[in-house]
Amino acid sequence: MNAPVLHKINDQHLWLSPERCIFWEEASALILSDTHFAKTGHFRKSGIAIPQQVYKEDLQRLIDLVAHFKPQQIIVVGDLFHSYENKELDLFLKWRKDMEQTKIILVRGNHDLLHSNWYEAANIEVVEGILKMNDFSFVHDAADIVESSNTGFHFSGHLHPGVAIRGNAKQYLQFPCFYFGKDHCILPAFSKFSGLKIMKPKKTSTIYAIANGNLIKC
Amino acid sequence: MIPSSSIGNRVINNWLSQKEFHPFDFQQETWKSIEAGKSGLVNAPTGCGKTYAVFLGAIIQFINAHPTDYHQLKNNGLQLLWITPLRALAKDIGRAMEEAIDSIGLPWKVAIRNGDTSTSERAKQKKNMPEVLIITPESLHLLLTQKNYPALFESLQMMVVDEWHELLGSKRGVQTELAISRIIHCNQELKQNGHQIQPTQILLWGISATIGNLVEAKEVLLSPIKQEGVIIKAIIDKPIEVHTIIPSEMEKYPWAGHLGIKLAHTLIPIIEKSKTTLIFINTRGMSETWYQTLLTVAPELAGAIALHHGSIEQHLRLWVEEALHTEKLKAVVCTASLDLGVDFRPVDTVIQVGSPKGVARFLQRAGRSGHRPGEISKIYFLPTHSLELVEAAALKEAINLDAIESKEPMILCFDVLLQYLCTLAIGEGFNEQTIFNEIKQTNCFADLQETEWREILLHLTEGGNALQQYDEYKKVEVEEGIYKIKNKQMAMRHRMHIGTIVSDAMLKVKFMSGGFIGVIEEWFISRLEPGDVFTLAGRNVELVMIKDIEVLVRKSTAKKSIVPSWMGGRMSLTANLGHILRQTFSKALSPEAGIELNSLKSLFELQADLSHIPTANELLIEQIEAKDGFHLLVYPFEGRQVHEAMSAILAYRIGKIIPISFSISMNDYGFELLSDQAIPVDDSNIEQLFSTENLLADIQKSINSTEMAKRKFRDIAVIGGLIFQGMPGEKKKAKHLQSSASLLFKVFEEYDPNNILLRQAYNEVMVHQMDEVRLRQALQRISQSKIILTYPTKLTPLSFPIIVDGLNRNNLSSEQLEDRIKKMQQQHYSLVRQLIFITNECSCIT
Repeated sequence: MNAPVLHKINDQHLWLSPERCIFWEEASALILSDTHFAKTGHFRKSGIAIPQQVYKEDLQRLIDLVAHFKPQQIIVVGDLFHSYENKELDLFLKWRKDMEQTKIILVRGNHDLLHSNWYEAANIEVVEGILKMNDFSFVHDAADIVESSNTGFHFSGHLHPGVAIRGNAKQYLQFPCFYFGKDHCILPAFSKFSGLKIMKPKKTSTIYAIANGNLIKC
Repeated sequence: MIPSSSIGNRVINNWLSQKEFHPFDFQQETWKSIEAGKSGLVNAPTGCGKTYAVFLGAIIQFINAHPTDYHQLKNNGLQLLWITPLRALAKDIGRAMEEAIDSIGLPWKVAIRNGDTSTSERAKQKKNMPEVLIITPESLHLLLTQKNYPALFESLQMMVVDEWHELLGSKRGVQTELAISRIIHCNQELKQNGHQIQPTQILLWGISATIGNLVEAKEVLLSPIKQEGVIIKAIIDKPIEVHTIIPSEMEKYPWAGHLGIKLAHTLIPIIEKSKTTLIFINTRGMSETWYQTLLTVAPELAGAIALHHGSIEQHLRLWVEEALHTEKLKAVVCTASLDLGVDFRPVDTVIQVGSPKGVARFLQRAGRSGHRPGEISKIYFLPTHSLELVEAAALKEAINLDAIESKEPMILCFDVLLQYLCTLAIGEGFNEQTIFNEIKQTNCFADLQETEWREILLHLTEGGNALQQYDEYKKVEVEEGIYKIKNKQMAMRHRMHIGTIVSDAMLKVKFMSGGFIGVIEEWFISRLEPGDVFTLAGRNVELVMIKDIEVLVRKSTAKKSIVPSWMGGRMSLTANLGHILRQTFSKALSPEAGIELNSLKSLFELQADLSHIPTANELLIEQIEAKDGFHLLVYPFEGRQVHEAMSAILAYRIGKIIPISFSISMNDYGFELLSDQAIPVDDSNIEQLFSTENLLADIQKSINSTEMAKRKFRDIAVIGGLIFQGMPGEKKKAKHLQSSASLLFKVFEEYDPNNILLRQAYNEVMVHQMDEVRLRQALQRISQSKIILTYPTKLTPLSFPIIVDGLNRNNLSSEQLEDRIKKMQQQHYSLVRQLIFITNECSCIT
C-alpha cells in the first residue's frame, strides 16, 4: 500500500489513499464511496459470468485499509451495495462480524435498496439525504444539494470521477481520481468493477489522479 | 450439355421451353449433380439464374422421387431449407420460387422466416411446415430453441446457403456452419431411431460469387457432411467499363482530406446522362455530406435524388429501394447498405467515391449496374484525394489480372459457440458428447481441444471459478447428462440476443411531432447541447432533448450543421490491391504511367524532390522534424490493418533501445510514429527493426495488442452473452446489469486473465487484426527490399495524409507510467490544462 497524501480542508487533515478512500484524522473516519459490493453476484445470478475475484479483492482492500488506519468509523457516501440481496452479501456479513467495533455510517445512494432490517442486522447506520459531521457534509449525489441545505464543504460520490490526461503527440490516458472543487470533494468509486465519468477540470479544482497505485496531483 | 433423361428433368425442361427460357450449361450441370445425389458449390454472378440452378434441382429431385403423383402431394413437410444472409432478398426469391412452383404444377408452399415474420405466421409454420423455407442464419438458430425442433427437419432433402461468400469469413458464417451441423445430425439421429422416411442424406449446396478461395469455401461448407462435392462455375462474360474522374486542376486537389467534394459538380453530367445512378460513399457521415453537396450544386435534382445508409430508419430506406425499382429516382447516395441485395433494374451507372479498398468490393459495386446478361457494367471512380488516383490505376490493373480477394473462414469462435450452446440448452437441451463430436466436424471447431471444450462447459454451468459458498451463478444446468436452461426469463433474454451482428450503442432519433428518422451513436449525441443542429438522413435537425433512449429533434432551417460520424469499422486495403498499388507507384514519372499517374505529375515531382518515390522493391522511410514532434514515416503499402500491427512492433522495438513514447497514426499506404523526442532509427539498426525474428513474442508484448483486444472484446462479450443490452420494456429492470465492454475487459484482464473469451479476443487480434500471416509475409518482403531512408525538410505528399489523418491514434510507451505523466506535466504549464474533456474527436468527418 503506497503512502497517503495529505490534503487539508478547514484545518482538518484528510489523508488521501491511492486505494480510493480518505482517512479523516480528526474524526478517525475512513471516507469512501460507491463500493458496489455484491455487484458481481448480481451479474452472476443473471447468468453473466463476471469473475468474483473483483468483489473479493475490493472487500480485502477495505479490510486492509481498516487494519492500516484503524478508524473508529467508516462513512460510506452511498452505493455500498449494488442491488438486491444475493449470496455475496454473506461474505460481507462475515467480515462485518469480525469488525463489530468499527461503526459504519451509510449515506444512502440510489443503489442502496436493501430492507432497513438488513442494515440494522448488519450494524450499519443508514442516513437519508445529507449527513452532517463537524463542519463537513456527506451526500451521495451532489446534484441533490439545494442552496438552502447550507452544507459547507461536502463529500459526494455517485459519479465515479475520472480524468483524461493528454500530452504532446496526442497521448491520452484515463484514471480514476479525487476531484476537489472550491467547496466539495467527489470521491472515486471504491469498487474496481466500475466505469469512469471523465470530469471537466476547472481553474478552482484540484485533482488527484490514481495511477498505478500512486496519487498524482494535477 | 445433354440434359439427363429423368422425369424431373423432362418436366423442368418442358416448362422452361414453354416459357422460352434456355437453361445455361451451369444450371444443367447443377441439376445433374443434384440428381446424382451430390453436394457442392455453384459459382455464379447475380442476375444469371443461380437461384434456379439449385432451386429447380430440388424440384427435379422431388419429381423423380414421386414420378406419378408429384402434382398431387400436399403437406410434404420441409423439403428445401434456403439460408440467405439478406432479409431483403428473401421476398423476391420467395416470389420467384412461388411463380415457378405454381406454373410447374406443384402444390408446394414457400414461406419466409426472419426477424420481420409475424408471430401468427410463425405459429402457422410450426403447425404445418412449408416445403420451402427461406431463412436467415439468426432465425435458423431461433428455430433450434423450439421444443422438438428435430421433427421440423425430418423430411428435409436439401439445404442451400445463398451468398455463401458473404457469410464466409464472418461470425454469421460460423453460425451457419453450426446450424447446418446440427440439422444434418439430428436428421441422421431420427433415421437411426427408426423414423426412417428415406435413406438419402440431406444434400448441401452453396451459392457464391467469385472469391479467391472457392475451393476452400466449398470445403468449409461441406465439412459437416464429410463429402468432396463439386464446384460448378457459370462461365458468363460480363464486360465492365471503368472510368476515372480526373480533376482538371490537379495542383489544387487536396493531398489529404476525405471528401473530394470539390469534384461534386463533375458527377452532375454523369447522373444526367444515365437512367439511374448509385453513388457509393464509404462512410455514413460522408454520405450525408455528399447528399447535401449534390443538392447544393444541382438544386434541380431535389426530389430526384435520395440517401440510403444503415443508420436511416428502415421505412425510409424501404421507400428509397422501392423508388429505385420503379425508376422514380435519378440517383441514390448510398453506403455499403446497397452493396448487396435485390438488383435494381433501372441502375445503369455506378459511381465509387473514394477508395473501395479491395478489388472484389469494387467489382461487386460495378456489378450493381447493368446487371442483366448482355449489359455492360459502368463504374466511375472519383478519388477523394490526390493519391487515390494511383489506386484508380491499380484497380484497373487488378481487374485485368482478375486479382479477386479470398475470404478467410473464421476458426474457434468461442463466443459464437457459447451462444449456440445456450440456444440448444433452451430448446431440447444437449448432450455434451454428441455436440462435441458434431462441432468437431465443422470447419470452425475442427481444432477445438478437449480442454477448451471443458472450459466452455464450465463457463456455462459454473461461470468460471467462483467462491463456492458465496456464489449463485446460474445459467445452464445439467440433468441426467442433458444441459438445459430452465429459467424462463433467461431463455427469453437469450432468444432476444441470438445473432452475431453487434451494433454500437445507438439512440433513435425522432421528431417532436412524431416519426423516426434514424439512429445515432450515443457518444456523438452526448457531445451536443440542446439547440445544436446536426444532419441525419439528409435533413438538418435541431436537438431538443434526449429522453430515455430517444433523441427528440425538430426541423431546422439553420445553414450550418454538424455531420455525425458513426464509428463503424474502417476498411483496410486488401493484400491484392496493396501489391498492385506498389507496382503502380513504380510507374510514376515513367513512360508507362497511365492517365491517372500522369495527372499527378507535379505531386510526384515534389515527392521525388523532397524525398523519394518508392518502387515495388523498395521501402521508403522518411524522418521529419516538425513543431509538434519527431515524425517517422514508413510506407509499406500493406493496408491500414497490417500497418497497425507493424507500427506497434516497430514502436515496441524502438522502445527497447531507449525509453520513449509514441503516438501512432496510419493509413493504407503507410504509418507514422510521432514522438516528443528524436527517434533513434538509422542505417545501423533498420534491418533489425523490421526483422521477422521474435515476431510473435514482440507482437504479444506490444501494448497495442491489449488495446486492440479491448476493441475486439466488445463484440465477443455481446455475442458470448456477457453484455446484456436489455430488451424493450425491460430497460429499467435491467439497469443494474449494465456494464461497458471496456470495463468488463479491464475486470477480466485483472481478475480472470485466462478467461476463454478474453483469450479469444487476443486470438482475434493475432489472426484478424494483426493478421500474423500477412504481417510475416510483409516483413519478409521488406527484408528483401531496399530500404530508402530520407530526411525531408518539409512534409511530403506521401506523409501528409497520414499526419493529417490522426483519428486512429494509438499510444505506445516503454516509459514508466509515472515518468510519462511527469513528462507530460512538464510539457505544459500545468496538467490541469491537459485534463481536457474529450472534445476534439467530435469532428465532422469519419
